[in-house]
Amino acid sequence: MWEVEDEEKSFSRNPAAAMMTSLLTGCGNKQASDGGGQTGAETESAAKTESAGGAEPAAGADSVKPSAAEDPKLTKNMKILSIWAEDNDNGVLIKAICEKYQKEVNPNFTWDYEVVSSDNLRQKVATLVASNDLPDMFVYESGKPIVDLIEAGKLVNVSKVLKDFNCEDALNPSAVSLLKSLSGTEDIYDLPLGMNVEGFWYNKALFEQAGCQVPNTWDEFESVLVKLKGAGIQPIACGAADKWGATRLLNSYLVRIAGPEAMAKADEGISNYTDEDYVKAAQKIQDWAKAGYFGEGVNTVDMNTAGSMLMTGQAAIFYNGSWFTSNLNDASQNLAGEDGIGFFNVPVVDPYVSDESSYSMNCGNILSFSQKNYDEATGWFMKYFAENMGDLAMELQGSVKGYNYTVSAEGASGYTQLVLDTINNAESAFTWFEATMGNEVQNVAKDGIQTLLTGELSAEDYMKSIQEAWDMSQ
Amino acid sequence: MKKVLENKTAIAIFVLPALIVYSVIVILPVIWSLYYSFYSGSPGLKWEFCGFDNFLRLFGDSNFKASMAVNLKYISIVMLGQVGMGLLLALLFYFWLKRFKNVIRTLVFFPVVLPTVAVGQLFQKIYEIQPNYGLLNSLLDTLGLTGLVQPWIGQASTALGSLCVMDIWVAMGFYAVIFYGALLDIPGDVIEAAKIDGAGGLQLFRHILAPLLHAMIITCLIFSFSGTVKMFESATALTNGGPGAATRSLSMYMYNVSFTYNKVGYGSVVALFIFMLCVVGSSIIRKFDVKE
Repeated sequence: MWEVEDEEKSFSRNPAAAMMTSLLTGCGNKQASDGGGQTGAETESAAKTESAGGAEPAAGADSVKPSAAEDPKLTKNMKILSIWAEDNDNGVLIKAICEKYQKEVNPNFTWDYEVVSSDNLRQKVATLVASNDLPDMFVYESGKPIVDLIEAGKLVNVSKVLKDFNCEDALNPSAVSLLKSLSGTEDIYDLPLGMNVEGFWYNKALFEQAGCQVPNTWDEFESVLVKLKGAGIQPIACGAADKWGATRLLNSYLVRIAGPEAMAKADEGISNYTDEDYVKAAQKIQDWAKAGYFGEGVNTVDMNTAGSMLMTGQAAIFYNGSWFTSNLNDASQNLAGEDGIGFFNVPVVDPYVSDESSYSMNCGNILSFSQKNYDEATGWFMKYFAENMGDLAMELQGSVKGYNYTVSAEGASGYTQLVLDTINNAESAFTWFEATMGNEVQNVAKDGIQTLLTGELSAEDYMKSIQEAWDMSQ
Repeated sequence: MKKVLENKTAIAIFVLPALIVYSVIVILPVIWSLYYSFYSGSPGLKWEFCGFDNFLRLFGDSNFKASMAVNLKYISIVMLGQVGMGLLLALLFYFWLKRFKNVIRTLVFFPVVLPTVAVGQLFQKIYEIQPNYGLLNSLLDTLGLTGLVQPWIGQASTALGSLCVMDIWVAMGFYAVIFYGALLDIPGDVIEAAKIDGAGGLQLFRHILAPLLHAMIITCLIFSFSGTVKMFESATALTNGGPGAATRSLSMYMYNVSFTYNKVGYGSVVALFIFMLCVVGSSIIRKFDVKE
């Protein structure tokens, strides 16, 4: 599908190289406030490690080093737990890289592939941890969920393995920084399976019909919403049935008024969820719901339906991540056509607080490796995975997964190219609303957003409930 | 037979296999839960003895209280709805439906065999408001009752009621069949005699049918109670506990606490509470089963 280009030439336009090294949340502000010379990534990682009690987990300390310079073709049956079927999404890539590794490098490598629904992933992993039976490699969630596993020494120190196997450069440095920040450790304990950017997708035809331009500032954004509503068009499709579709909107405004580190500050206890800016952000989303910008029954609309509403012209704007391009590239779903949907970043309120080059980004689900099952064969596979996943993902799906790649992205669909360009343009990033929250706090935040939207919970009470959950979890 | 029943060894041989199975799959997990309830964290992850902390936390946990309130409301409405509607349907089959009664009985019983997830999806469509009106809102709109068009499962005020309607619809056929069988067991001459004595519909029910169906009503109430106290799959399929915590039951909360929050110890305390609720609730219902 993709032509392989001259390695040196294509590497120069690799997003990994082009992208900022200080991708993490609010590096500019952090540097200013800390007054030091650290990058935002360094600052945030250090702070997080300290807050975790400074106890560096034992995992990986006894990792097996390579016994030879080349893969010794050790016999290995790798047990893999995934949330994607082998013919879907990242499941295609995992299967393809296993097959490729077996064919090109190690014929003694085999694998068992088990799928669990994403909703049940945490429960499944918790059960496997309890029975000390984690599979060799498993899909998990970045951020807080893996912290407990890291602290309990259940996960392989991926940084150490990559160093031992001399393939540290295979990963996109931005992805590495993001993973470190999310786990609050100085090393990474997971491999990325995505490099996503989030923002507002909009239906160009509906914008034109209502005489709207793409907004750059929040005031312009609000004007667009009023115009769309006035033209009889539902301004925003929000998948509040899935909850995170709504919390992302809240986070967008919060970041623009309180800075990209707002949620991290609240999690560290530096600020409270009940502070003015947090309540103001919640109030904004409630006001939008009251104004009817989300249409009727917003809590009954899931993200798939909301995306479909955008593509079929039933709503003008939809907040989602770059993974939405798989829907946009599907002509049977996207009635707006190959160029009918556009993308814009979260509009800016005050560029000194958070500017337009700052995007919401994440690494999607991640891959972790069981420390208990780790052996040299796994290490060699990890090396192959890290060195080849970038090219494979670009060749098969035209997507960036957090690894360096050497093949060209030319020929990608307009939507895929749009995402690649956006990622390249990003100079800093902020995480999603629940990224820093523990499970309990996260559930309260997600559950409460629905009653916030219906007006059954006030903005103050919503934020108070999150603060109470946070207090309880301490 | 009398000889066999006097032989304690024979009794033990009959009882032991079932007792062992019952102990392993019912009593042992309860004891296990009790043991877990004195620990914090999750087995394998921060698993530490915490004494009675989990029990004390229960009393100050607003989420637990909210879930219990939802559960109690759900039990009251659905239990009475399922058994009441079942009884009414059975009376309808017995006294009024002369033609097509087999077809109608089959239709009423049909939802019982449907998978819960399928029923949840079906009702999501019935209650739908966006992007298109579902059956209910379309009907209301067509009848000109636009004021009643609303997101039935998208707002806390109507979500629990909507869920109850679904669960009553699903199970009422089951109870109707049970009551119909019980009605068939009542000798026809008793009913005939009451009618000859001038008993009207209500009098016939109150003085003849209700006393004769008493034991069956109690049994059905206990069935329904034990089915509703564990409220989980239908709420998960229809609303996933939302909006907010409007339809989140104790079982769902226990599941979240144990497997999402990784607090198996505290989840075990909630599980024990559900167990106690079951025991106490069933005992209260049995109090009405007084032999005259």
